[in-house]
Amino acid sequence: MALLEVKNLDVRFAVRGGDLTALRRISFSLDKGERLGLVGESGAGKSVAAFSILNLIAKPGYIAGGQILFEGKDLAAMSERELRKIRGNRIAMIFQDPMMTLNPVLTIGTQMVEAILAHRKISKKEARAIALDRLQKVQIPSPEKRLDQYPHELSGGMRQRVIIAIALLLDPEIIIADEPTTALDVTIQAEIMDLLLNLCEQENVALMLITHDLGVVSQVTQRMLVMYSGRIIEQGPTREIINDARHPYTQGLINALPQMGEPGARLFQIPGSMPSLKNVPSGCPFHPRCNFATDQCKRAMPEYVRSGNVDVACYEVANLIEQEKRMQEAES
Amino acid sequence: MTSPLVSIRGLEKRFDLSGSFLEQLRFEGGRLRRKQEAVHAINGVNLEVQKGEALCVVGESGCGKSTVARTVMGLLSPSAGEIHYGGQRIDNLEGKAALPYRRKMQMIFQNPYASLNPRMTIQQTLEEPIRFHHPDWSPVQVRDKIHEVMHSVGIDPDWGSRFGHEFSGGQRQRIAIARALAVDPEFIVADEPISALDVSIQAQVLNLLMDAQESRGLTYLFITHDLAVVEHFGTRVAVMYLGRVCELADTKTLFAMPRHPYTQALLSAIPKLEDDRPNHIRLQGEVPTPVNLPSGCVFHGRCPYANERCRQEVPQLIATDGGAQVACHAVEEGRL
Repeated sequence: MALLEVKNLDVRFAVRGGDLTALRRISFSLDKGERLGLVGESGAGKSVAAFSILNLIAKPGYIAGGQILFEGKDLAAMSERELRKIRGNRIAMIFQDPMMTLNPVLTIGTQMVEAILAHRKISKKEARAIALDRLQKVQIPSPEKRLDQYPHELSGGMRQRVIIAIALLLDPEIIIADEPTTALDVTIQAEIMDLLLNLCEQENVALMLITHDLGVVSQVTQRMLVMYSGRIIEQGPTREIINDARHPYTQGLINALPQMGEPGARLFQIPGSMPSLKNVPSGCPFHPRCNFATDQCKRAMPEYVRSGNVDVACYEVANLIEQEKRMQEAES
Repeated sequence: MTSPLVSIRGLEKRFDLSGSFLEQLRFEGGRLRRKQEAVHAINGVNLEVQKGEALCVVGESGCGKSTVARTVMGLLSPSAGEIHYGGQRIDNLEGKAALPYRRKMQMIFQNPYASLNPRMTIQQTLEEPIRFHHPDWSPVQVRDKIHEVMHSVGIDPDWGSRFGHEFSGGQRQRIAIARALAVDPEFIVADEPISALDVSIQAQVLNLLMDAQESRGLTYLFITHDLAVVEHFGTRVAVMYLGRVCELADTKTLFAMPRHPYTQALLSAIPKLEDDRPNHIRLQGEVPTPVNLPSGCVFHGRCPYANERCRQEVPQLIATDGGAQVACHAVEEGRL
C-alpha cells in the first residue's frame, strides 16, 4: 500500500457567480521514502494540490470530492482535531518564503520547542535537545547560538535551513516542500536542495516537491507530475519524462528552456498563456495553445493512456500509440 | 576596436546608512564620536558596451548588478567614476542637456506589475514618452507610432483603451517593452526582464527581445541572475560579486572555460536537466555584507584557493590567454 494515495481529488473555490474548479480529478500516490515532483506554471494548481493534502486550503476553497488516503485513513474526511495530530507531526510542510514562515518576535529555539511540545509530552529541556540535534543535521554553523537568535539575524539560506530543521523535528513520514528554493540565490539553492535530498535519503522520508524549475525536479525527484489548469496531464518516472516527454505541453515546457536552444537562436515558444480558472477552455484545457489540437480535443478531456511507464492525458498521444499497435499487428 | 557605445569608468556607488549629523554621533569610551556607515554597492566597475552587442551582467542578490543598471540610466548618481555614451560624458548632465540621451537609452524593469501605471490605459502609457520626446508630432503620427510598436511586440493595437490590470504578466512585460521601444532607442538596459515570468512566457519575451535587437539594431545591457538565459542571449558576460567585476568574457569562452573560482561555483550550481545527481562546487559561508567589505579580494572568505596575498591585495581584471579578463590572484599566478 502506498503511504499517501490521492484519489480523484476535486478542489473548488466558492466565489460570487459560481464555483471555480481549481483541481479536477487529481490522482497520484507517494510511496515511503519516495521523492515526487509537482511541476507546472503559476495557476496550474500545484500549490493548491499541496495545501489540500493537509486540508490547509483557506476559504472560499473547499475539497469537493475525492479521497486523500494517508496510511489508509482519509485526511479529507478527518476532523480538525484529528488532522492536527498529523500536521507537522507525520506530514510536515516547507513553504516558499522563509521570512513569512518564521515568527519574527520569537527566537528560533522557542519556535522549535513549541512545535515539539504541541505533539510530544516531554520536558522543555528534552525538546531543546531535539531542536539542537535537528539544527546540527541541517549543518547550521554554531547551532547552540542559533537557538537564541531571532529570524531577522539569519540570512535567507540559514532561515530556510531552520525551516527544514523544523520540518524534521518530529520525524515525519512525508515532507511537502512548496517552492522551497525559489526565493534564494542559485548557489544557496543548490546547497539547500542537496541538503533536502540527502536528509530525505538518510531518514527515509518521502518528499513531495512543488516547483516550476524543471532542472531541480530532474535532479532531485524520482517521479514527477505535470499539472496544467488544475489537471495532471502527465505523470511517471522523472527521467523518462524529461528525456522523452509525451504531452505537447510538457514537451513545450522543456523545449522553451534556454539551455535547450542553440545559443543566439530563437527559443521554442508555446503561444498564449495559461487560462484563468474563470474561463477554462472546454475539453482538454491545453487545446487553444496546442499544435496538435483537433475537434475531439475541444469536446472532452482525454482519458489517461499509458506509454512506457508514463500516464498521459492527450488524444494525440493515444492516437500515436494506437497507430503503433496496428503497425505491429500488421507486421506479425 | 571601434569606440564603445557606453563606457562605465571606475564606477563606485555608496548608499549612506548613517542618517543626519546628529544621528551619526555615538558616545564611545567617554567621548562623542562621529560614525559613518555606508553600503558599498559598487566598488570600481569598468565596463564597455559595444554597439549591437548584448552585455549580460550576472551575479547573486546584493552584488550590485541592478545598481550598475540604474546608475548607467542616470536614475542614481555615481559616488565616483564616469558614464560615457557615444564618447560624451553623461553622468553630470542636467535638465535639457540630458534629454537626447534619455531618449536614446531606455529601461525595462523586472516587475511588469509595478512598472505600468495602473491608472493609465495602454494607449496613454505608450503615448506619454512619444509626446515628451517628440512634442512636434501630430496626433496621427503619434497614433501610428503606437500602433507600430504594439504590433511589433505582439499586442493587438485595438487593446489600447484597456488598463494594465486587464493583461497577464507576459503581456504586461510586452507593453513595458513597447514603451521602451516607442521612442526608437539605441540602447536598452533590461533589469531582470524575465525573472518574474513563467517558463513558457520567458521564452516568448526572450524571443521578442532578440527580434527587436535584430530588426532595430539595439544594444543591450542585460541584468540577470539566470545563467541559462545568459548563455542563450549574451554576447559577452560580466560576473559580479560584492560590487566588483570578477570575470569578463565572451559568452562562449565563459561557459566553456570559467576561470574565476566564483564563476566556476556559479556555473556548477545551475540545475541541469541531464544530471541525475547535483554535482556542484560548494562554497563556504555566505556573501558578506557590503557594509564592511572584506579586505583584499572580496571573495577570499569563501574561496578555496585564497592565500595571504588574496586577503590583502585587491586583484585587478587581467586578460588571460583564453581571452577572458579575470580578477583573481590565483589565476594570475597560475595556481588555478
